[in-house]
Amino acid sequence: MKKLLLAGLLAALSATAAADTIEMKVYGLVCGFCAQGIEKTLRKNPATEDVVVSLEDKLVAIATHPGQDISDAELTQALTDAGYDVKGIARTQRSMTDIRAALKKDTK
Amino acid sequence: MNLVCKSLAGFVLLAHLPGLAGAKPIAFSHGTTVMAEYGAGTMKEAQVFYAPKYFLSLGPGYLELESDIDHRRREITYARVNYLAKRWNMEAAQANVFVWGGAGQAYVSETNDHQFTGNAGAQIDYETRRVYSSLKTDLYRSADFSHRIDTLQLGLAPYKHDYDTLATWVVVQARRFTGEIHEGTEWALLLRLFKRGGWIEAGVTDDGKLQAMAMVNF
Repeated sequence: MKKLLLAGLLAALSATAAADTIEMKVYGLVCGFCAQGIEKTLRKNPATEDVVVSLEDKLVAIATHPGQDISDAELTQALTDAGYDVKGIARTQRSMTDIRAALKKDTK
Repeated sequence: MNLVCKSLAGFVLLAHLPGLAGAKPIAFSHGTTVMAEYGAGTMKEAQVFYAPKYFLSLGPGYLELESDIDHRRREITYARVNYLAKRWNMEAAQANVFVWGGAGQAYVSETNDHQFTGNAGAQIDYETRRVYSSLKTDLYRSADFSHRIDTLQLGLAPYKHDYDTLATWVVVQARRFTGEIHEGTEWALLLRLFKRGGWIEAGVTDDGKLQAMAMVNF
């Protein structure tokens, strides 16, 4: 019974953590020199914990602090202000570690 | 290959490439761009632009032109406003149209005085992560002179860089000056490197002179 409770608790924690990752498909990401505006803008948001940008995957991923979120409207505005077009926003179950590992694997 | 043929080849190549891009006068919203360019024997330029919006930047600049024909010199200080007139964000490419205008004063060596100077220009660019090109025209005009600097750049990257990796580009540049600063087209072969907010490039012109540029975005 204790094991079941522990498993349930872990699953609940995992779901909460998973909701803290936001992945965005972004068009126009061709230059690291220019894309730094995205990271700079997103890191200014107090809810942001970490940011990953991948030109290869046209991906901007954000980890937010536990229990915090950034609305789609805010994200779209931030990316627009950086000069890019957001084509999709998804709350995913990938951790930033997983995303970084997947990107690293893609480049090999 | 004579200069006319080289120019034609450059523009034909430009027309068939999927893109053109250059150092952009606007980095990103609330970003600052500091740029210095050195073209031995012809021009030196420095600019600092702050962008309150992703489509607008403003700031001061300095341009020194020296004729390699008769050594006339202009030292132009100006304030400029840059505007992103149009941007196309594609899945794996970006294209831009920038325009700018400004005003300042120029030291004119042959009359040894300072004159009001107007500045206007435009740039179109398109880039993917492997192909890069830009076409820029920049006009400076006062009572005693009119100089237009047209610059075409075509670049190829030997590999696709990513956000955290070093970008390497080999760039061919063709530049024409009006107002007898330089006879004909000045060609240069440049190696460009950038990562995150830092950019350096250096190369040599067809006269064997140094051409270099450094830029920082923050």
